[in-house]
Amino acid sequence: MEGMTYLAVAYFGMLVAIALWTWTVVQRSRRLDERLLAMEAAAGKTDAEDNSKA
Amino acid sequence: MRLGETVLFVGFTGIGATLLLALLWAPSVSINAFESPAAQRIFYWHVPAAWAAFIAFGALFVGSAGWLFKRSEWMWRLHVAGSEAGLATGLMAVWSGCVWGAAEWGTPWDWTDVRLNSFGLLTLLAIYVVLGRNSQPDGVETRDTFAAFGLYGFVLVPLTYIATRIWTIRHPGPVVATGDGSSINSDMGLVLLIGAVSFTVFIIGHMMASMRLTALEQRLERMQHNLDGGN
Repeated sequence: MEGMTYLAVAYFGMLVAIALWTWTVVQRSRRLDERLLAMEAAAGKTDAEDNSKA
Repeated sequence: MRLGETVLFVGFTGIGATLLLALLWAPSVSINAFESPAAQRIFYWHVPAAWAAFIAFGALFVGSAGWLFKRSEWMWRLHVAGSEAGLATGLMAVWSGCVWGAAEWGTPWDWTDVRLNSFGLLTLLAIYVVLGRNSQPDGVETRDTFAAFGLYGFVLVPLTYIATRIWTIRHPGPVVATGDGSSINSDMGLVLLIGAVSFTVFIIGHMMASMRLTALEQRLERMQHNLDGGN
């Protein structure tokens, strides 16, 4: 049974490792989405200000 | 939730279910055939991870060829996704193999075994491509260099696949559909199949998410370039 306990710990460790890898990719993607939205909003605002001055 | 993330989640759930089945349901192997019957269950992680690595290295090959011959941005993103997925799954297979080898053979690695060393080289190639690409500014020369490594490095995949059929040194040969009666029993085969399908779905989801990430990074770079006045 001791071998099975080690195996369960190893399985759990491997699952946590791939969960962390997945979490990192998803979070990076979400952060980039937010940055892009913010930049698009800022660029749109700048264009609008330029047009109103003209 | 986006499609890539949904596919990832489904694959991850399948992997969790596989490990649960492997731990609680899959039959034990004979103590006479194995030094460490409990460690044999690492097989349900090790084999699907290696299978997923081959899919990822296949994507790396196609992406590299697509970039070199068609100059396609989509293919470059596939190259990036394939190399990252190949690195992760390659490390999973190598690490689980070392744990199993230490328990079963008394040594985590055998420098004389062709399968172990050719797969190890493939994983090293993925490490080189991922780290090298991240340390260089993006450009045609950089892409050409790493795409060439992805293209020619693929020769290790068929070599790794046939290695145990030609040279059975320490790593065991095929255990599924062998045709000579030495295949694993049906319950073990079912858990292995669920594992292989789950890992396939998981790695496809990862490559989809990774390709989207690269596309977002490229878009952000273009936008910053435009905001800076295009200089």
